[in-house]
Amino acid sequence: MRTTWAPALLLALTGLASNLTYAADGTACRTAHGGTADTREIVAALAAFKPMLNEQQQKVLYQPFDYDHAIRWSNLPLGVVPRNGLRLGDLDAKQAAAARRVFEAALSACGLKLLDEIRLADDWLTAYDKRPIGWSGGNYFLTLLGTPGAKTPWMLQIGGHHLAYNFTFNGHSPGATPLFFGTEPIRFEIKGASYAPLDAQSGAMSRLAAAIAPLPQARLSGTFTDVVKGVVVNGAPGQLPTGGTDTGFPQSYPAGEQDRGVRVSTLSRDQRNLVREAIESYASFPGKSISAPLLQSYLDPKNLDATFVGFAGAPELSAKGSYVRIDGPRVWMELVVQPAIAHPEDLHYHALWRDKQSDYGGEIHK
Amino acid sequence: MRRAALTALLGLLAVVAGAHPAPNSMLRLEFRADGVRVEYWVPESELAYARAADPGGDFPAYLLRHVGAESRDGKPWRLTVGAVRETTYLDHPYVVADLRLTPPAGTPTKDFVLIDDAVTHEVRNHVVFVTARREQGSDLLGALQYPARRLRVAAP
Repeated sequence: MRTTWAPALLLALTGLASNLTYAADGTACRTAHGGTADTREIVAALAAFKPMLNEQQQKVLYQPFDYDHAIRWSNLPLGVVPRNGLRLGDLDAKQAAAARRVFEAALSACGLKLLDEIRLADDWLTAYDKRPIGWSGGNYFLTLLGTPGAKTPWMLQIGGHHLAYNFTFNGHSPGATPLFFGTEPIRFEIKGASYAPLDAQSGAMSRLAAAIAPLPQARLSGTFTDVVKGVVVNGAPGQLPTGGTDTGFPQSYPAGEQDRGVRVSTLSRDQRNLVREAIESYASFPGKSISAPLLQSYLDPKNLDATFVGFAGAPELSAKGSYVRIDGPRVWMELVVQPAIAHPEDLHYHALWRDKQSDYGGEIHK
Repeated sequence: MRRAALTALLGLLAVVAGAHPAPNSMLRLEFRADGVRVEYWVPESELAYARAADPGGDFPAYLLRHVGAESRDGKPWRLTVGAVRETTYLDHPYVVADLRLTPPAGTPTKDFVLIDDAVTHEVRNHVVFVTARREQGSDLLGALQYPARRLRVAAP
């Protein structure tokens, strides 16, 4: 199914300023034309964008590339965790169009589609934001950490409540992660158009879980109420919580064979293909310059064989606590089903992609 | 003025809770000459999953099965569970227990190994924050998440 967004709808709902055609189906979006994440193209798009900004906007757009700034992403709304950077909802039409050219250079067609649809999901939530906590497609941010160029490391952050793109360039290794994405609601309609932002990823993870469900060792022990390696809210009684950002970085990961699910080397060809599809669905968001070398590593037969896949709850992801995980020598991908916040009787997804070697391009140290 | 600030704080705390459905545990440690007092905060929602996986006994008995301490040389400390009350933090219902950890005679009280998996033995994403209580606020000493259940603690 293909959907075309009218510019007026796009402007009204997201503040973006380009006419966009995208494929709503996840598989199709992977074959659609998108950005390459070539550093030169992104740097050129940023060079065109910068002169459109006033001094204050430039000041917030450019931030230092260090631990404190890099870890400032979250699955919590803006009203809870302030973000770095330039608020997309504050851009005028020309600025928004120029920002979009940056996104188009950095993101694949799938990545761009996710950004648009997650912002729309937040717009959908706005009507229920009574407290308020900042649900709004305008509350998404663009930030540059360090100096964009071809040689020294720098980061591009695009994100808000349910999305965190953290791309690192010129780092020790290609940096697509941490990449958090989620959606509430899971499916929604705006002005007659239907959206399911995580359809491709949840579908791929669900098919994988269903395929390995008959294998006893595939079922992970325990209960999952959120992703395991996401942000944490560090509280102290009587005080406002600190954290809500990636303060747990660097993360530690499971070792050995125990309770990690089933080893991919033991799976059938069809089951292995489902693992590949699930990995590819997550890795489809950045442009190819970033995702291709990571995918090559994750899907290298030796690495794939040493990867574990496991699940908990319902393979069809129909109940809270349902969870699917891919845990390889480098790759870490999770998806969990939580109760929705706006309508607790409904469900919503949180998903996370981490790379055990190249989160933040391997450039960030506590 | 102060009331307005308090109202704003409480409002924001509720907002945080409403946006975050998986609350974590907090242990506030107070180091004393004869041992360590612990204010043990555990969210009821996550505790319910954990107790369902290990039913039997009342809450103090449950804590005795999952919480403890030992000296650096492996000698176990005595755990006493005192008052238990219910409260809310960030709009989430919490159970708060006053614990006392007592080392063997002559053992240092400011450097030991804390043991806790009261929730983490079941809830995989749950994090236990261990802090040292100060006059105002607290210092983060470390955190535990499955499968880790032991944390070396040194008083700041």
